[in-house]
Amino acid sequence: MPGHRTKGFCASAAALALCAVLAGCGGPGESAGGGKVVLRYTWWGNPDRAERTEQAVALFEKQHPDIDVATSFSGYDAYKQKLATQAAGGDAPDVMQLDYRQIDQYASGGVLLDLAKQKSALRTSEIDPGLLATGRVDDVQYAIPQGRGTETVAYDVRTWKKSGVPLPGESWTWSEWADTMRALAKKTGKPGATDPGQSEDAFEVWLRGRGKTLYTEDGSLGFTAGDLTRWWTFTDRLRREGAVSPAEQTTQLDGSVENTPLGRGTSVTDANWDAPASGFAALVEGGVALAPMPTGEDGTPGQYFKPSMFVGVSAKTEHPEQAARLVDFLINDRQAAKILGASRGIPVNETIRDEIGPQLKDFDKTIAGFQASLEGKLKDPPQAPPSGDNALQSTFQRDYDQVSYARMSPREAAENYVTEAKAELRS
Amino acid sequence: MTTTAIPAEARHAPAAAPKRRPGREREGAAWVFLSPWVLGAIVLTLLPMAVSLYLSFTDYDLFSPPKWVGLRNYVQMFTEDPRYWRSVVTTLTYVVVAVPLQLALALAVALALKGMKRGKGFYRSAFYAPSLLGASMSIALVWRAVFNDGGTVDNLLGTGGWVNKPGWALLAVALLTVWQFGAPMVIFLAGLQQIPPELYEAAAVDGAGKWRQFLSVTVPMLSPVLFFNLVLQTIQAFQVFTPAFAVSAGKGGPADSTLVYTMYLYDRGFVASHMGYASAMAWVLLLVIGVVTAVLFRTSRSWVFYASEGER
Repeated sequence: MPGHRTKGFCASAAALALCAVLAGCGGPGESAGGGKVVLRYTWWGNPDRAERTEQAVALFEKQHPDIDVATSFSGYDAYKQKLATQAAGGDAPDVMQLDYRQIDQYASGGVLLDLAKQKSALRTSEIDPGLLATGRVDDVQYAIPQGRGTETVAYDVRTWKKSGVPLPGESWTWSEWADTMRALAKKTGKPGATDPGQSEDAFEVWLRGRGKTLYTEDGSLGFTAGDLTRWWTFTDRLRREGAVSPAEQTTQLDGSVENTPLGRGTSVTDANWDAPASGFAALVEGGVALAPMPTGEDGTPGQYFKPSMFVGVSAKTEHPEQAARLVDFLINDRQAAKILGASRGIPVNETIRDEIGPQLKDFDKTIAGFQASLEGKLKDPPQAPPSGDNALQSTFQRDYDQVSYARMSPREAAENYVTEAKAELRS
Repeated sequence: MTTTAIPAEARHAPAAAPKRRPGREREGAAWVFLSPWVLGAIVLTLLPMAVSLYLSFTDYDLFSPPKWVGLRNYVQMFTEDPRYWRSVVTTLTYVVVAVPLQLALALAVALALKGMKRGKGFYRSAFYAPSLLGASMSIALVWRAVFNDGGTVDNLLGTGGWVNKPGWALLAVALLTVWQFGAPMVIFLAGLQQIPPELYEAAAVDGAGKWRQFLSVTVPMLSPVLFFNLVLQTIQAFQVFTPAFAVSAGKGGPADSTLVYTMYLYDRGFVASHMGYASAMAWVLLLVIGVVTAVLFRTSRSWVFYASEGER
């Protein structure tokens, strides 16, 4: 019957059209803006860094009217997970910020573009060759460091001064640090510091102060369960004495300064990286100053200048040249450098660093001064950590939770961690 | 059923008649109309399941191609991973606490609503609302704030923040689920309205009090509905993720106390980039839920009463 056929035909046609529409919606919405190239650029950081980055990006768009930059940012923990998922799905952003811990995995996984191929758009001649080399994996330049950072003890100046405890000097050992935290807790009634036991970074500083490393050169574990037991016994005791934050507060750390005890006003100091520490300026009324990390008992420094905040380009980007231009702008543009300041660390372009350095304002100046005070005193940074380290960072924090909630002894938890770490690094 | 008596050829007979073509055509049109769903089911459900089954026998870190490792993921899970077993215990605890509490609350509210003369519609909607809200991330975040240090609960009870105490955090997660009792409540309400009023009248005449009526009339008559809700909520509870994720700020803490099965699965897959291991965990979960459901069905024979059976 023709009537039936027509109806059936119409129905099929309608359904197919519907499918086409639905499929259309699912496709990438890029290059829709009237011939403009759209670049996706993502990073992690605090609102301060976001605001400055947005300003710099707006300037870039003004200079390049044919390029639109779609930005997004989040806290480090969330960023790391989202980026891994995007990269696995072949949908990594065109330009992405990467951590030292990530480049090995992303480079060997084929996610990143060889930046040497975009030499004409991206200049690297004004970056210190040694620093630039930290973005290389197997002799290919996959990423460029945007700054260098080091760890610091950020402290609430007013509260510390009011306590009457002498302010920190040019250096202190871990036991001097511990005594100071006890004194601060006694005088101020709140813990002196965030419990450093949860932090793999702080453990590394302590370990290096004893002449050891987190990882050996071939990427296996550089310390024993005994070392970790000693570290956790040390921090566990301080926690029991009330010199560092209680478990309930320590467990809330998520990589943002807002959720640290210092950020919440419940402790006097916090060990953190210097660039993110700028976030404290807005949170701590009494003002924030930076002291160095404690050293080994014989004065061996544990902290180091770490190439930080790498920026890389996706191997799958449709606009490699424009992406490289954006990277070039972020690193080599004078005006961009002025806007960005030290929000990702002190600039890596040496001409700009010398020129901008004296003009740095507010907390950027504090960071520059802090780094200058350490110049020449620190030991070489370790090589890029093996891929498994990315996951071990959170395992470390979790295992310490078991200690700080007194569910496991430091030894038990340390042995657990070493077992887990060995399995992680093997695979 | 009477149809079984008809021989096979006889049943197909009408289709073989001249009307065959339009019938076929209609079938074709049916497939066209079904195609969005069928495509969706194949592309978004069956295919990923097949891939996940394959991945569960591999070592896959998202970046390099999967490596075949046979049963290693499964062996590691059962023999070398204490955190895996901790997550299993946490999930079982959660199921055993959250499901009965939720069903009891749903039934209690349904009973209260049933007897209500005015405003029933309003209260039914009001009690159902959390189920609509509860699926969202935002309410889970509010929940975290309510149970955090300095939150409402801390201020009212002075207990400190539950979400930062290992012994209490899971309870906060369970309460979030319990609070979303709307769906089982509505089903209970429908079930209660199906019970013939004569039964209550007869029971009252026989001198049964309210409690007696509840035990001897309501419970048996409602048992199929109760069973339905129990199975559904148990299956859901095993897969709990959003509340645990939000209440623990994505970490399953403190001290792994809210690290439920799916949270650990997520952690292995998306934080540690062990997709193969995570896939293996997913398949074990599927099997366990299947077994638990089968067990529930088996025990149901002894306590679920179907009115139709009674009439037979």
